[in-house]
Amino acid sequence: MIAAIAQWRGFKAATWLGWEISSNWTRPLMFVIYSVLRPISAAFILVVMYRVISGRAAGSTAYLAFLVSGVAFWSFVQYGFAGLSNGMAEDRGEYRMLKYVYTSPVDFYVYLFGRGLAQLASAVASALILLVVATITLGLPIDPLRVNYPLLLVASFLALLAVIGMAMAYGFLQLQAVDAHGYGELGASVLYVISGAIFPIGVLPGILATIASLSPLVYWMELIRRTLLGSHAIRMFPTMSDADVLLRLVVTTVATLILAHLVFSWADRRARRRGLIDMESNW
Amino acid sequence: MSHPSPLRIFLKTIVARAYPRFVGSYRNRTWIVTETLLPLIGTIAMIYVYRALHAPARYLGFVVLGGVLLAFWQNVIWAMATQFFWDRGQGNLELFAMAPTSLAAILLGMALGGAYLSLTRAVTVLIVVSVLFGVGYTAAGILPALGVFVLTICALYCLGMLLASLFLFYHREAWHLADAMQEPIYFLSGFYFPIRSLGAFVGGVGSLIPLTLGLDAIRQLILPGTPQFIPLAWEILAVIGQIVLYAVLSQVSLRYLERRARQDARLILRST
Repeated sequence: MIAAIAQWRGFKAATWLGWEISSNWTRPLMFVIYSVLRPISAAFILVVMYRVISGRAAGSTAYLAFLVSGVAFWSFVQYGFAGLSNGMAEDRGEYRMLKYVYTSPVDFYVYLFGRGLAQLASAVASALILLVVATITLGLPIDPLRVNYPLLLVASFLALLAVIGMAMAYGFLQLQAVDAHGYGELGASVLYVISGAIFPIGVLPGILATIASLSPLVYWMELIRRTLLGSHAIRMFPTMSDADVLLRLVVTTVATLILAHLVFSWADRRARRRGLIDMESNW
Repeated sequence: MSHPSPLRIFLKTIVARAYPRFVGSYRNRTWIVTETLLPLIGTIAMIYVYRALHAPARYLGFVVLGGVLLAFWQNVIWAMATQFFWDRGQGNLELFAMAPTSLAAILLGMALGGAYLSLTRAVTVLIVVSVLFGVGYTAAGILPALGVFVLTICALYCLGMLLASLFLFYHREAWHLADAMQEPIYFLSGFYFPIRSLGAFVGGVGSLIPLTLGLDAIRQLILPGTPQFIPLAWEILAVIGQIVLYAVLSQVSLRYLERRARQDARLILRST
């Protein structure tokens, strides 16, 4: 019981620390405003691109909804993946505190999970504001009373686990480098291309489409659109039922977590052997 | 003992500040990878968006040229505008302020080195994406487009010098402000679509950023069929005007803000 309380305290402290570091101790409102500007602009770039090609033809809102919902929920990956994986390198290089966290009684996984969850608040705010603004200004077919919230929450929870798992493993891999500046964003942008966030993965060449279909993010995106848009959703997997897509999300998430754990453990052992956890780096 | 002339010090400062960026453009492999791949992957993502929409081939060219200039914009934001902010955090700014040279020379050196560094990344993006996706350009327009490109980059780095002094007045928000100057600027400058699509008002506001008119002019020259925002000659004149305007404003702003920063003790403020 005492151990559980200690872990909970560690988790709370990690979440708070993650929030403060990611916001750089600015005022929360300012941070949220800045955080929302990027996804809103990204969504409107896609909207203009779509309008330039397709004009305002009938049925265009369905594709706009496809684009906007993808960008809105992408914030979770952007903040969760890039934020957490960069955070590990920052904790070591800039703040020089990774070794203290590593040797503290809090489980390292618990600390990293809390550090990653801290990004969630800005991602939630960003996704909500973007969806509201886009639904009103573009007339997207999103009816808040008809959204399948349970499925949306389950899918998002699974995806979040996968994202944090991937970020932990990727972050530990980054510790192998002396200077890993920008690699978090790089990893997130690779995921962006193969996640079906802004275009159906069928557009990708064969090998990339196959890799994309092994990622839980694709099935998460599909479920987001189905739960938010119902029958208006443009489907990447039209022959699959919601249950089939959810099953694939569960399987790929479990596989991702197992793989992430193996990579994390390997990178952890290597980092200990080579003294990388308290190495002077970057800054 | 003879002292070097102020002009010599000014020029030597430019070379000295540009030097680490010339060397850094190939020495730090990590930065080579990120600075090349980030705009490259972003460009490829947008190309697939157009492919999914079955857009005509020239739209892929719009994206490629946007991706090329994106490398410069990222450099201006992260290595010009915010540079004094980072320097202040690392304790270099106070050394710059005490050195027998001017901050303007340091900024010019940063601009020169940064433009070279970005050029190496931008050329990679241009070649890789054009070859991968078979994007073609009008040969006759390439030389004039290169001329417009040089003017645009000059105007852009003058804007960067202006932003550098403004960022001195930001504390902990500086990082977020720089972050917020990415996608919103890609949108306002029409990085991935013809600027005309934004209409006269939004396009006009976006034209305050030199990239907007420069990019539109380059597209008009090498991608036939580009919807014209304003006539090409006006765009070129406007970019030349921006070079003068931003160069003057940056010097005025730098002197004013340097004085204010000294008064308010912001030159030595740590906020990173």
